[in-house]
Parts: sequence; structure tokens; C-alpha cells
Amino acid sequence: MSFLVLDHLQKSFGTTKVVHDFNLSVDKGEFVSFLGPSGCGKTTVLRMVAGFETPSEGQIVIDGQDVTRLRPNQRQIGMVFQSYALFPNLTVAENVGFGLKVAGVPRAERGPRVAEMLDLIGLPDLGGRYPWQLSGGQQQRVALARALAPRPRVLLLDEPLSALDAKIRVSLRNQIREIQQQLGITTIFVTHDQEEALSISDRIVVMHKGIADQTGTPSDIYNSPATHFVAGFVGTLNRFEAEVVDAASGHVRVAGAGILLERPLPPGKVVLAARPESLQIAPEGIPAEITGVEFLGSVQRLRARVDGAEVVLDRFNAPGEELPRPGARVHLAAARASWLVLPE
Amino acid sequence: MRQIGWNWLGVVPFFAFALLFLMLPTMNIVIGAFQNPEGQFTLQNLAGLASPRIVDSFVISIKISLASAVLGCLIGFAMAAAVVMGGVPGWIKAPLMTFSGVASNFAGVPLAFAFIATLGRVGLVTMLLKQWFGINIYAMGFNLLSFWGLTLTYLFFQIPLMILIITPALEGLKREWREAAEVLGASTGQYWRMVALPILFPSLLGTFALLFANSFGAVATAYALTGSSLSIVPIMLFAQIRGDVLQDPHLGYAMAFGMIVVTGLANLAYVIMRTRAERWMR
Amino acid sequence: MKRLWSWAAIIAGSLYFLLPLIGTVEFSLRMRRGEYSLDAYRSVLADPNFRDTFGYSIVMALLTIVLGVLIVVPTAYWVRLRLPRLRPVIEFITLLPLVIPAIVVVFGYIRLYNTSSVLPLTGTAGGTNLLLLCGYATLALPYMYRAVDTGLSTLDVRSLTEAAQSLGAGWVRIIGRLILPNVLGAVMSGAFLSFAIVIGEFTMAALLNRPAFGPYMQLLGANRAYEPAALAVIAFAATWGCMGLMQLISRLLGVRKTAK
Repeated sequence: MSFLVLDHLQKSFGTTKVVHDFNLSVDKGEFVSFLGPSGCGKTTVLRMVAGFETPSEGQIVIDGQDVTRLRPNQRQIGMVFQSYALFPNLTVAENVGFGLKVAGVPRAERGPRVAEMLDLIGLPDLGGRYPWQLSGGQQQRVALARALAPRPRVLLLDEPLSALDAKIRVSLRNQIREIQQQLGITTIFVTHDQEEALSISDRIVVMHKGIADQTGTPSDIYNSPATHFVAGFVGTLNRFEAEVVDAASGHVRVAGAGILLERPLPPGKVVLAARPESLQIAPEGIPAEITGVEFLGSVQRLRARVDGAEVVLDRFNAPGEELPRPGARVHLAAARASWLVLPE
Repeated sequence: MRQIGWNWLGVVPFFAFALLFLMLPTMNIVIGAFQNPEGQFTLQNLAGLASPRIVDSFVISIKISLASAVLGCLIGFAMAAAVVMGGVPGWIKAPLMTFSGVASNFAGVPLAFAFIATLGRVGLVTMLLKQWFGINIYAMGFNLLSFWGLTLTYLFFQIPLMILIITPALEGLKREWREAAEVLGASTGQYWRMVALPILFPSLLGTFALLFANSFGAVATAYALTGSSLSIVPIMLFAQIRGDVLQDPHLGYAMAFGMIVVTGLANLAYVIMRTRAERWMR
Repeated sequence: MKRLWSWAAIIAGSLYFLLPLIGTVEFSLRMRRGEYSLDAYRSVLADPNFRDTFGYSIVMALLTIVLGVLIVVPTAYWVRLRLPRLRPVIEFITLLPLVIPAIVVVFGYIRLYNTSSVLPLTGTAGGTNLLLLCGYATLALPYMYRAVDTGLSTLDVRSLTEAAQSLGAGWVRIIGRLILPNVLGAVMSGAFLSFAIVIGEFTMAALLNRPAFGPYMQLLGANRAYEPAALAVIAFAATWGCMGLMQLISRLLGVRKTAK
């Protein structure tokens, strides 16, 4: 029995349809990310769950209760905004206690709960400060505590890290995941940053033009993208035009070199793809010419040209190992299982 | 050092002008308020302000200023809120702001004429009310040359000034604040009481102070409307400057000093509140 | 429900603002018994005092703008360029005319510049005119300074100046040929606001006994019935004209700036 169900959600603004037939079931305690470029409809879906937008079609069910027509303040949901949205006239403690106060929780019970929340986010001493006295990262943690204080059924995070510095972004996202697991709260996290989504989610929904292209675990999404869009949006992908020689055994030819995939293929032409880290320089394989070498610290990135198209190879830094020079002619290969066959 | 000396030279004309035509004349009045005709220091003039006639004029002036500031704030706020968040079509905002820009500068003699032509004894609205509804507002005790008449007239520039100042403040209320409050379970009333109004409070109070000072110092409208039949402070001072009606020039200085104190306090409140509002709005 | 209240507020407000305007126009047409006519306007326009005082106030308004620009533009520019620490002080001073009522300022003038003082400006008509002009410039100071300072804030004053200096331009040329044209839109909006303030100003002109439009209107209002309404219509039209021109010009300059 799923805890949060989004059933055939649709949303149009005027004549523009921004969400087409969106379906999702989220288990209790699950952390699901909506990943996609801006304008893909991910925030609109989140705002429908929160109650700020009413779906044109479809149904939203939380814990067996149809909330589609409920106002936001009747849904018992916690939400964190990109811009923090802390109330500037209230102290940190008053912000965190806001949801309890409007729910009529007496002052004596609010105090301990607020203190507990401030402990949870690691800012136990800042209760008396005002939001403008805090850094961005601190403000966002307070916003998280504020959202969690009334014990919401679902936590919604709308690009909560986008306004922060790179370093704080990583530490805060780990903290969010830790707190989420500690409380076991069902969470939806909207982001356009694939690394964020891959690193902290139980499942990811990749969205594109108002449609959920693929829903799956981070490794599903990365290792077996279901559509061209997912393949291109998540991670870097090298594409190769391939000619099918034998559809039954999966024998194809790329730039003159034969590759045996050992899986059935459609006849004619297909597009093969490989992640930069699965391509290697090998004694034999696809002929290529090295065009550039970048040293990125733990990783070395090689650029090469195959049949006029550029491909990228990543390999771990190994001190003492000699790097190929630009202009060198090499052969590229990948492990059989790591080849992706993209659908037409 | 020489560099600094030269730099100062650039602002000398400005300071000279401000000194000659703003600061020295004002200082002169302030000092005059503390001098007797022989030029010696005295508090006698300020004590003289306690005469019933002058006290009455300050009381009625402050009453009119308070009334027109309170009503100006309330009505201006209602109109600005209607335009910013009331679901009224967007095209209304631009003409309203332009009109407010003009009307807030339309104080003075012509404004008095406009209200005489409208609500005077034979004004348009007075006549229409009589002809269409049989209501004779003058028989009911209304008089344009009175406390309420003057307040009603002042509102013509007070409301637009409020709209001009409070609209940006209302637009500065972030949508996310409202949404955060809603999703935390707050009703619309709770949002306004606990978040929006406290955030707007400095702006509201500050604008109120500005409106107060604005009507407290207005001379032309009142004078053209009432002549000298309504003795508010600026009109008494006007008469005093023209003909020494108080028979004591130094009492006039004390009165002017009293005006500066009142408008100064109001503006000080405005500045303080504004600083707080800006800190929050960041 | 919310929309209903909003419409109620807007409609009630609009009625309050429109009725006096309609009332004034209607009243100004009522001079001839039993029918609408332009007699009141004819009577006003035929009055030589109207032409004299209106002309006087227009000249004063234009001179006020010139004086205001001469005082404000170089100061605001210089403070931004060389004396940024002085900005709060200057800003405070420019706001003072909003705090100190005009009637108090002019009271001070009468005391400070009377015939027995060191600088007996009120002794002669020319001197009094000069005093009134300075008073008007003082009244307009907050608006003029705010407008020009906003205009300057959109420019990189320092780089512009250094570029001009490196090409050998002197101060007069820098301010006159470089800074002024660049803040022209801002100066214009300040200028029209000044014009609107000065054209109907009453208190200072009346107390300094100058034949300006404001005191003329007041006098007419005390003695006539229909002409004041016609005058109010004319004054309101003049104010509207100023504001309209101000918006038009700032829009035109804005367009030219983005097109460049």
C-alpha cells in the first residue's frame, strides 16, 4: 500500500499543458527526487502536492486520504523553498514553532519541540537570532526544522540547495538525507542537479516536457536510461552509430570494428552508448584519434574523435602511468555489459 | 592633505545654499523662539504657547492631521492591496500609480477650489444629493469649512501618497512567505496577523508619520478653503507673519518652533521605521 | 469574496477621486445661468492679472529648474566621485525641506533678510524675487536631488570621469558634456516635478508679497464664484501635462538609451 499516490495528474495553465498524465506511488519513508531541466513541470507537480495549484485532472492521495481538493493548510505537509522563505519578523525559534502555534499547541509543549528540532539541525544556540543574522546554509536548515516541527506526513523540498555555495550544498544535502532517514519521513525532492538526485535518492523521476520519462533507482537511471533524453540528461554519454550485422546474436559494427553484444537487437541501425568511465584504450576495438587530455585530479579525461564525432573517456589517475598524446591513434573498447543500446 | 582640501571645494556651493536658504533661516526662528525682544534668553515664549487659543490651534491641527493620516493610510492601503493582491486585472495598476503621482502633488489652492465646486453649498455632489435623494447635507450639519471638510479635502493628496509608498512594500511581500505559512497550517487571517502585518508594520507606521507631517504643514489648501475661519496652526502662523495678530512677534517664532518639533518628530519616526523595514526586506 | 472587496475598494476610491474633478469641470461651465458655457474660462483668460501672474510663475518655475540643476547635478556628481562619505549628510540636508514646513522657512527669510539686516534682500523687488527663487529651489531640492542621484546610480561615474580625463577634458566639459546628458532623463523628471510644485505655490509667494499665480488664485477664489473652478481645471491640466511630459520624455530617453 503506497503512502503517497499521484494518479493521472494533469495541469494546464490556459492552453499550455505543463504536466501530462503524471503517475507515481511513493512508499512510506521513501526519498524520491524529481529531476529535470527548468520548465519540465517538476515544480508544478510538487506545488500540486502542496496544494498551491489545483490539478486539472487526476487525484492526489496521502495515507489513504484524497487530498486533491484540500487547501494547503489542511494537508499536513512540510515544505522547504529555494529562497528559504523564513519569516523575517520572527526569531529562529519562533519560525520553527510557527506551525505548532497556528495549530494551537500550548507554549509549554512548543518549547521542547522547537529545541528538539534545533538540535536535530545542529543549531541549538541560534534560537534567539533573526533570519537576517544567519548564513544561507543556516537559514535553509532552520527552514527544514520549521517544516518538520509540526510532524508533517510528507516533506516537500523545492530546489532547497540551489541558492547555496557548492561546498555547503554537498554537506547540507547529506544532512537532509540523514535527518530524513532518522525520522523516516516520506520525502519528495525537486532538483535540476543530477549529482544531487543520484547521491541522496531512493528513487528518481526524470521529467521532461511535463512527462515522467523514467522512474527508477539512481543506478537504474544511470546504467539503463529508458529514453534518449534520460541518457543525455543524466551523466555524460558517448554515442556511436552502429550497423546491426546479426540481430539474433547482437553482432554490430562501429566505425569498421565489430562488437559482439550477445543480446537480441532490432535489424538495421541502432545507437550504442557508453559512459566515459566504461570506455578504455585497448589493443583492438573502435579506431580513434586522441584530440585532448585534461587532468582533473582524481580523474583524467581524454577526448578522442571517432568517425568525426567526439567521445570522452574518464580514467582514474595512476601516478607513473604515461598519458597518450594528442594526435595518437588508439583503439577504444568497453565491457560487453556496459554498452547501452538506446531505443529509437 | 591638499587633496582633501580641494575635494571639499566641490560641495561648497551646495552647503552655502543650504546654509543661507534652509538652515540659517530655520535656526533664526528656533533661536528667536528662545529670545525676548531685547535678545536675551527666555522660556517665556514657549510658555506663551500654553494660551488657550494657541493650544486649541495645535489640538485641532493635530486632530486633522491624525484623522487624514489614519484615513489616508487605511483607504490607500485598501486600494494598494486590491491592486497588488486582490485579483483585480493587472492593467489597473499603471493608471492608478500615474494618477497617484499627479494627485499627491495636487495640493494647494486649486484643490480647495475643486472641493468647493464639489461639496460646497452649491457644489455638484451637494446639489445631486439634494435633487436625486432629497438629502441636504448642509442641513444635516456638514460644512466643508470644518474639521471633517478639511480632512476630506486633505485625503485627496494623502491617499495617493499612501498608495505610492505602500505599493512597493506590498509587492515586497514574498509569495513564499504566504505559501510557507499556508503549508504550515496557517489560515489567511493568521498569515496576516502573524507574518504580513508585522512585516509591513514599520512601513505602515512610517508612512503614517509622513502623512501626518504632510497635512500638518499644509497651508495653501486650508487657507484657500477656509480663509481664516478655521484656526489651525499653519493658518494662525500665516496670519501672524502677515499682521502680527498675536501682538508678540516672538510668540510667532515659538509657534513656528512648535511646528518644527511636531513635523520633526513625525519624520524621525518615519526614518527609524524605514530603516527597520529595509533591514527586513533584504 | 476577496475580489469583491478589491473591486469595492477600487471603485469607492475612484469615485472619491473622480467626483471632485467632474464637479470642478461642471462648476466651471455653470457661469451662464441655465446653460453650460465657457464664460468662466473666457473671463479668466481675459484677465490681465491672470496672464501676468501665470507668466511670472512660469518664469519662476523655469528659473527654479535651472538653479536646482546648477546646485544639484555638480554636487551629486562630486559626492559620488570624491566624497562618498559625505553622502548621508547631503541626503539628510536634501530631505530637510520635507521636514521643515515651507511657512517656517519663509518666516525665517523674512526675519533674516529684512531691510535692516546685513543682506536686505526684501528691500527691493529684484531681491525679493531672488529670495523667492531660492525658496522655490529649496522646496524642489528633495525631488531634484532624489531624481538626479537615482540617475547617477545607473552610471559608472568614476570610470566615465577617468576616461574623459585621460582624453584631456576639463571639469566644466565633463559635467556639461558627459554627466548632464547621461542623467538628462532623471533631471527632466526632477524638473517637471519642480515645475508642478512651483507653478501653483502659494505660501512663500504670498508671504513675500510677489505677484505669483498661487496668491492670484487664492484672491480670485475669495472674490469670485465660477472663475476659481475654471482656474482649478487649468491648474490641474497643467500638472497633468507636466507629469505626462515627464513620463513621455523619460520613456523616450529610456528607449534611446537601450537602442544605443
